[in-house]
Amino acid sequence: MSELKPTNKKAELLLAAAAAGQVDEVVAMDSVAGCATTFDPGWEVDAFGGVASLCQPMEADLYGCSDPCWWPAQVPDTMNTYPNWSDGKPSAQNDWRELDAVFPKK
Amino acid sequence: MRMTPRGLAAAALLAVLAAFAHAPAARAGDLLLTGAKPDRLYVIDAARRSVRSEFRIPNAGGLVSSIVASPDGRIAYVLVNRMESISGIDLKTGREVFRADLSTKAERVKDFFAFAITPDGKELVVYELPTKLLPSEYQVEEPRFAVFRTNAGLHARAVRTYPAPRRLHMLLMRPSGKSFYALGFDLYEYDVATGKLLGTRGIRQWDMVGHSQPDLLAFWPVTEPTGVFTSPVISDATSGGATVTKTGLMALDVVADKLEFYDFEDTSALIFSTVLSPDRKFAYGVYSTLTKVDVEHHTLAGRAPLDHTFYSVNIATDGHEIYMGGAMCDVGFYDPATLGKRAILQLPGCGDQSLASLRVIPAR
Repeated sequence: MSELKPTNKKAELLLAAAAAGQVDEVVAMDSVAGCATTFDPGWEVDAFGGVASLCQPMEADLYGCSDPCWWPAQVPDTMNTYPNWSDGKPSAQNDWRELDAVFPKK
Repeated sequence: MRMTPRGLAAAALLAVLAAFAHAPAARAGDLLLTGAKPDRLYVIDAARRSVRSEFRIPNAGGLVSSIVASPDGRIAYVLVNRMESISGIDLKTGREVFRADLSTKAERVKDFFAFAITPDGKELVVYELPTKLLPSEYQVEEPRFAVFRTNAGLHARAVRTYPAPRRLHMLLMRPSGKSFYALGFDLYEYDVATGKLLGTRGIRQWDMVGHSQPDLLAFWPVTEPTGVFTSPVISDATSGGATVTKTGLMALDVVADKLEFYDFEDTSALIFSTVLSPDRKFAYGVYSTLTKVDVEHHTLAGRAPLDHTFYSVNIATDGHEIYMGGAMCDVGFYDPATLGKRAILQLPGCGDQSLASLRVIPAR
């Protein structure tokens, strides 16, 4: 901690709180992100380092990943962050053309 | 023309016979429950390969997830609304008769797949992951089990809560109704009434000699028809200096209180979910292939390609047919002996089943 220097007021407060032992324990954010705690390959590369064992077709797995926030970098997280991403598009195999890319709100 | 009572009876009999003559050959079979986007709950007559009922779940929020039927088979409790609500749907009328909205103004509460019902049908135990959404931070609260009375109507509130471990993904009720299993990094057993931890057995900390920690994806709470929950398990096994990735089965007998693991092949295909046959001789698993496991000899007994990836598998109560669902919008009916396809039923409207459970209710 001594290697870090605060650059704003909130960081100064955090440093002071940590020194006083008043910072809460860091816990897994499984309820916030609702996401996988694993970073195994799985969306672009299968467990064998290839693509033959990915879900077939990829549309079969699309909502199975967005619904529980499974690959949040690759598939929009409809559990928390983009809840309306698939509204009106109940069938990934038929509606995939209408599924847009998402961007963080500024 | 006026008909006599005997004539009326004969005419009625003929009408019934005529109706059956036009129906497909069907044996007394199972009803299947599955869900689909955005808000559908389907009751499927497995023998006739047809949708018996299509219900809309109010305020489903685009996701129909875990399904748990009441012990009398009359109500389906369904996790909906981005894992924030449990809706009880009457399977005869389609009416919502129970609703527990877990989140409040103070907390956002998710239930990551995990809830169970007591054998008397009176209480639901729900795994809750609460978070306070503060102006500048998300404050992660402690996980808990919350117990709801199923007769609480559409605004159910927990009647008691008690602490729970993190990273659970499934609850399975014991037949006595006095305790339930909680599956996560390890297997826990809790007292339903008091929330007391009764025991812990290793999953992550298992005692498979020469094996790495296991990896499993146990999201589908299927214990029918045997009372045994099974899940594929993958780990690295080291022997004689060589390390090989193995696929095995985890078998948890919720009746006999028995947990076992065993490998059955060097990993050569992925499997998402499995189910045990009624005679307990074989297990069947799905992903992009249908896998058959010889449970007695711990060997791979067969494998056949599927039309596409299915997430969830189940089996007929008498074992004569394999059912598969999840992912896309069709339900498959397969031969357990040959692993050949018998039929595919496409759901009306073709909404994706995604993570919905595929559950079997025996014909009554």
